[in-house]
Amino acid sequence: MIVEIGHYALVLALAIALIVSIAPVVGARRNDAALMALAPSGSIILFGMVTLSFLALTWAYAVSDFSVRNVWENSHSLMPMIYKLSGVWGNHEGSMLLWLLILTLFSALVALFGRNLPDTLRANVLAVQAWVTVAFTLFILLTSNPFIRLNPAPAEGQDLNPVLQDPGLAVHPPLLYLGYVGFSVCFSFAVAALIEGRIDAAWARWVRPWTLAAWTFLTAGIAMGSYWAYYELGWGGWWFWDPVENASFMPWLAGTALLHSALVMEKREALKIWTVLLAIITFSLSLLGTFLVRSGVLTSVHAFATDPTRGTFILAILSIFVGGAFALFAWRAPQLKSGGIFAPISREGALVLNNLILTVSTATVLTGTLYPLVLETLTGEKISVGAPFFNLTFGLLMIPLLLIVPMGPLLAWKRGDLLGAMQRLYLVAGLALVVGLGLYYVENGGPVLAFLGLALGIYLILGSLVDLWYRANFGKLAFSIAFARLKGLPRSAFGTALAHMGLGVTVLGIVAVTAFETEHVLEMKQGMTADAGGYTLVFDGMKEAVGPNFTEERAHFTISKAGVAVADVWSSKRIYTARRMPTTEAGIVSFGLSQLYVSLGDPMADGGIVVRIWWKPFILCIWLGSVIMMIGGFVSLSDRRLRVGAPSRRTKPAKIALEPAE
Amino acid sequence: MIFWILIAVLTAGVAGLLIAPLMKPRPQLTTAREDEAAVYRDQMKEIDRDLALGLLGEKEADYARAEIGRRLLAATDAPQRGLTPAALPRPHRITTLLVILCPPAIGLAGYLMLGSPGMPDQPLAARLANPGNNIELLLAKAERHLAQNPNDGAGWDLLAPIYMRSGRYADADQAFRNSIRILGATPQRLAGLGETMVAANQGIVTDEARGFFEKAVALEPGNIRSRFYVALGLEQAGRKPEALAAFKAIKRDSPPGAAWEQLIDQHIAAVSGNAPGNPSAADVAAAQNLSGQERQAMIAGMVESLAERLKADPKNIEGWLRLVRSYKVLGREQDARDALQTGLKTFPAETGEGQRLLALAREIGLGEGIVQ
Repeated sequence: MIVEIGHYALVLALAIALIVSIAPVVGARRNDAALMALAPSGSIILFGMVTLSFLALTWAYAVSDFSVRNVWENSHSLMPMIYKLSGVWGNHEGSMLLWLLILTLFSALVALFGRNLPDTLRANVLAVQAWVTVAFTLFILLTSNPFIRLNPAPAEGQDLNPVLQDPGLAVHPPLLYLGYVGFSVCFSFAVAALIEGRIDAAWARWVRPWTLAAWTFLTAGIAMGSYWAYYELGWGGWWFWDPVENASFMPWLAGTALLHSALVMEKREALKIWTVLLAIITFSLSLLGTFLVRSGVLTSVHAFATDPTRGTFILAILSIFVGGAFALFAWRAPQLKSGGIFAPISREGALVLNNLILTVSTATVLTGTLYPLVLETLTGEKISVGAPFFNLTFGLLMIPLLLIVPMGPLLAWKRGDLLGAMQRLYLVAGLALVVGLGLYYVENGGPVLAFLGLALGIYLILGSLVDLWYRANFGKLAFSIAFARLKGLPRSAFGTALAHMGLGVTVLGIVAVTAFETEHVLEMKQGMTADAGGYTLVFDGMKEAVGPNFTEERAHFTISKAGVAVADVWSSKRIYTARRMPTTEAGIVSFGLSQLYVSLGDPMADGGIVVRIWWKPFILCIWLGSVIMMIGGFVSLSDRRLRVGAPSRRTKPAKIALEPAE
Repeated sequence: MIFWILIAVLTAGVAGLLIAPLMKPRPQLTTAREDEAAVYRDQMKEIDRDLALGLLGEKEADYARAEIGRRLLAATDAPQRGLTPAALPRPHRITTLLVILCPPAIGLAGYLMLGSPGMPDQPLAARLANPGNNIELLLAKAERHLAQNPNDGAGWDLLAPIYMRSGRYADADQAFRNSIRILGATPQRLAGLGETMVAANQGIVTDEARGFFEKAVALEPGNIRSRFYVALGLEQAGRKPEALAAFKAIKRDSPPGAAWEQLIDQHIAAVSGNAPGNPSAADVAAAQNLSGQERQAMIAGMVESLAERLKADPKNIEGWLRLVRSYKVLGREQDARDALQTGLKTFPAETGEGQRLLALAREIGLGEGIVQ
């Protein structure tokens, strides 16, 4: 009965979404407050219904109700509870329901926290969100219904894909979807503004927290996915330029551009049209990603099941929303007034350059992702566009971008002093070179490019600190005063610094791993030793073990440095009994920010086994940097200014004026 | 009944909450631009702060103030865009009616079309507690019990023949071995294990299987069934005189008119008469004595016949698995790939069987182009 209630709640959600799609738009046109008021309350009820539905499905997974086809196909009664629960979205139907849940969650959040928005804008934004909701609810109900029942019910499920039986599944998809779907809010804001035909600096401020939140979660989601692929797939790589990865990376690039252009628009009322366009493009890329991953156009671990009707349906959603938004844009954009002017060398100028490079790199990734698909459709020829293409094009584009990153915050608005900004960075650039050189000598043997790359990473990290340093005016003022000024800086300044610093840390990790990692593939027998990264591994032998729903052969290695044992690690190969599917579980040991990665290959006839050993210097920097970026996002989100005019829109202006002016 | 009451309550609740804003009188409308002005006022304060921090020159600050001031003026002085803050709420009779009707109409129609109204939940634990005579459930229950108590020989004894009958040969093999290990060998268990192996090898009595049958016969000389398999094994291995003797002994020891009499006679005829045109599975075992090349040809012939059978009756997952693997072993990659694709037509990738096919493909390295 719970399952059926969940199913009914989902259908009911469709009805509510239909009402919220229509009534508020009519209300906004007629300036009818009651109709517009349907939007926030309707959005919250909508979220409630989808939550109910999602909980019902989760319950079916928790109790292994195999009369639900989706549970039978993707669960097993002997799986640990955490995989039963995260298995809810470890399949196509469930993951779409999670998509919908997060979409309605964002609508509800806009309804709750959007009290500072003008009534008409809020009504329109929520209505546009509801349009997307209608489309995806229909998609789920008609082509990917997780509530279809089986009678009689089978006695045992078919198990979750073993690769997905990992704590990563509990974290990666929700984070990624919070990012992906979060950009729907920016899209809705853009479309709503276009519907109203009026857009101004205030719009940019209203949309910024949503962009920031989505960007933060997407950063975390992508980083998490990358780390998961790194330790689970056993190939030792952390980014493969796989189309599925690109599908999540493109909205991130466009979203990063959006984040920066919204800043210009908010401050200077410039780049209005461009910002609106970026908001539309970013969510379009999210939809494109969903289409690529869910339609079965790409076959991968993410394409749980392929079904042409689903692909066609998502393609229709994609065309309607993207096409519709661009048509609206083409119609309305010429009527929008353009805003302030600025000199090329100014913070605006730097941000425009940032946008330029980010959009070009998005287009590069898009080309590299879609070109093989288009080619295969047209000519049947299969090609794969891999790392060489992306490293050459994308990598080259990133270098100038990374160089200007620390300059942006140092330049003044409107008319900046490039020389002044550069002077402030001289010291940092010099220091970066020295430290980079030092690291180069320590590792001794990487190519010169690696040394430059390391210097670039350090330049980014120090550059972000320089911004704070100069803003607080350390050096010129007494320390205590400067420190007080530092504390007085808006949180968004710290957010910016943290995000840029995180980028630097990530660059550092990428360069270090790419240049200095070592890989050994060797056949080992019990008692044999191997050297990697200054450590010695001793292969102590194999052992069989049994898990709840798998059997495994595990190899034990003792790791020692200079004859002293410092760590030990298990690396194993598993067979999941229900699907008879093998997986590898790499053994990973961290030494500081570096890791030793041990993965098992095939056993040899003479009793040995193929072992792959990687030494990954500073690899954790890649994800540590992402975490710092994420923290920067949250710090910036907590900035008081994003709540401005906000706490309650009935607040009298006088009360605002009473707040300390920091 | 409770189900429908809950549905009704849910629907009514949703409809009630939805129409609430329509019922409330809303005397005042904020004009769109008040909220905007709040943002600009805040930006003004930011300029002061930036100025104090020295982030902004005096001149730039003045420019910026002027710029934001213009925006602020535009926002506050804007004509009210024809807003008429309605003193009285408009009547929303039609809208209210539509909003009330929409959830039950769409909800019920959609649900009745897609759902399974009134179908009870079936959590596995409850079903296991009360399995009735559902074989699958009884099996699952026994499996859980054995997973907890792997040394319960009687359990394995019970399960083994059930696995065997439902074609889960690998499980049956394991179960028979477990019961033999725990409870000791009996003719029944040994014969069961042997038969499982024969079934798993598509009718071929391997040397190992014959060993088990021989042990069974040693324990119980009168076990006709085991003796038959021993004889069959000898026949397949090409040891015809011994096979003939064994079959004749079975015939002698059988009561007249026994059900298997005809079968034994056929084998006696086949072994003694060298009957031509009888390419039985026996020849395959005989292949052990052939040269490598001849053996290859013989295996290839067997694979072809399997392919033919699957063409006639594709609903045989074990067959497909065997065929794909055989092609791969024979080095016929393309055939293996084709067989995999054909098999996937009958067992699509989202089914459990399809997954087994894909898993096999990965295992033997047919991966690219089919799975990642």
